[in-house]
Amino acid sequence: MTSADTAETIVKARRAAIGPATAVALGLIALLIVWLAVNFEKSPALFVKAFLIGITNGSVYALVALGYTLVYGILELINFAHGDVFMLGGMMSATFLVSIFHLGSDPSAVYLWPALFASLAISIVFCGVLNASIERIAYRPLRKAPRLAPLITAIAMSFILQNVAIAWKGPNYISLPINILPHGVVFSIGRNTYTWDALIVVLLTVPVLVALVWLVQYTKRGKAMRATAQDREAAAMMGIDVNRTISFTFLIAGGLAGAAGLIYAIYFTSIRFDQGFQLGLFAFTAAVLGGIGNLPGAVLGALFIGLVQSFNNTLGWHAPGSDWTQSIVFSILILILVFRPEGILGERTPEGG
Amino acid sequence: MSDVATDTVLRVDGIHSYYGSIHALKGVTLEVRTGEIVTLIGSNGAGKSTTLRSINGLIHPRRGRITFLGKDITNTAAHHVVGMGISQSPEGRRLFPRMSVTENLEMGAFQRTDKANFKEDMERVFTLFPRLAERRSQKAGTMSGGEQQMCAIGRALMARPKLLMLDEPSLGLAPIFVERIFETVIEINRQGTAILLVEQNALMALDVASRGYVLETGTVALEGPADRLKADEQVRKLYLGEG
Repeated sequence: MTSADTAETIVKARRAAIGPATAVALGLIALLIVWLAVNFEKSPALFVKAFLIGITNGSVYALVALGYTLVYGILELINFAHGDVFMLGGMMSATFLVSIFHLGSDPSAVYLWPALFASLAISIVFCGVLNASIERIAYRPLRKAPRLAPLITAIAMSFILQNVAIAWKGPNYISLPINILPHGVVFSIGRNTYTWDALIVVLLTVPVLVALVWLVQYTKRGKAMRATAQDREAAAMMGIDVNRTISFTFLIAGGLAGAAGLIYAIYFTSIRFDQGFQLGLFAFTAAVLGGIGNLPGAVLGALFIGLVQSFNNTLGWHAPGSDWTQSIVFSILILILVFRPEGILGERTPEGG
Repeated sequence: MSDVATDTVLRVDGIHSYYGSIHALKGVTLEVRTGEIVTLIGSNGAGKSTTLRSINGLIHPRRGRITFLGKDITNTAAHHVVGMGISQSPEGRRLFPRMSVTENLEMGAFQRTDKANFKEDMERVFTLFPRLAERRSQKAGTMSGGEQQMCAIGRALMARPKLLMLDEPSLGLAPIFVERIFETVIEINRQGTAILLVEQNALMALDVASRGYVLETGTVALEGPADRLKADEQVRKLYLGEG
């Protein structure tokens, strides 16, 4: 009786506490909508441009965010080294495209596409194997340790990879020819154009996402991944080799990071040792926003973060500007962690609140 | 006495298993023969589930030996034990909650490669549990306890086991479900699968089993034919709730 009463009081107290917070949140969302509407009204063309840039950036974030979410789903580990695996993939791609395939500015399609797909394949395989090796060497021995141990190891791994990149390429930006991708106009709205390089990013990303969903939903390996994520011991009792399934998950997550690395390198045409860390934090925010462990959630969160970034950087009317992008994105991360830790599409779990 | 070598499906020989530093099994010996239902009864913490976990390879005993169909499986990894012919419906059912009933059953057949028989076995499970057929595309986590138990037993059957281990299949179920589950257990056994049944509901378990073992703090305190155990004064007092 008394415990039920206490529980009820707590629930009531909680509701009362959430009341004003919800009001503030709703107010912020209303303000945001007004801001977007005014911007759209003032310059529809700029708004559409910002939207398209956001989708393009967001799709790169999605590839990285999926890696975080896949690994979290199966191990409940935030793999902080993931962003750095992506960065090494970008450097690998840059090396292959420029130093080995000798792509310059405006390469002809005959050279561009084979070199691009070869580099893509190399980057995917390299990052996949790298990520799986990291799991084997650094995380598996800690499988039964308290959760903090692998988390700290992941941060250490992140530093190691960054230093490997410095040793390999030095501390400065390494750049690719700016016109490595065709910059022709796909369509234009007013003075604003949408160019082929942005479209190519989306065209490379979408098939990768579709392939991943197919793999996880319908293949035997994918089902083993989901089973292992939901109940590792029960999966072992079904005859699923849990260690192999976890390795496979890291392989896939690394492969996605490799694909993202190449796409980032050819779209932004420069990459530095610390960019994996920055982009990784954005992608991690995206994964949390969508509900960590949830694949469609990660894509949705990534597109959202991409849009936040580009609206903030591009829009003309009272946009805080690119200096504020990181503050805004990480404020979003904090707000989610406080008010909806399970994310937009995540499920409320007893331990996850 | 018939030939022990061919007649014995499972033999557990004086195993000592640990949970961390806790000495959970102190020399458990038991045997399941062809066509038998053997029950393992005992109070909470007596080591029933630990015995099953030692058999299916989730933990490995530090001492003693487990043989299955003549092969030593003492240190075989869990995912290989299934392929050899031991499957389990674990305590608490342990379904994959966000997978459909069909997908859960597919997972039960994970080690198998014969596609034709796979369909047939799926139908067999749906015949045993028509309720599951109705719910085949429902997420397992959203079903009632009884339905989940059916799904867990069905999933274990999908491995075409030679030995089926059931851990507390009646736990938390309404009496009508308990009866259905036990009827099905008998039916599965009649179709030729040996069964090792762990139960707190000792009365029910001794009704369906041919032999039983009573575990007490990690050792076998009593063993024998089910009728004899049911008549035993100590068993009646401790496990059948009689004064």
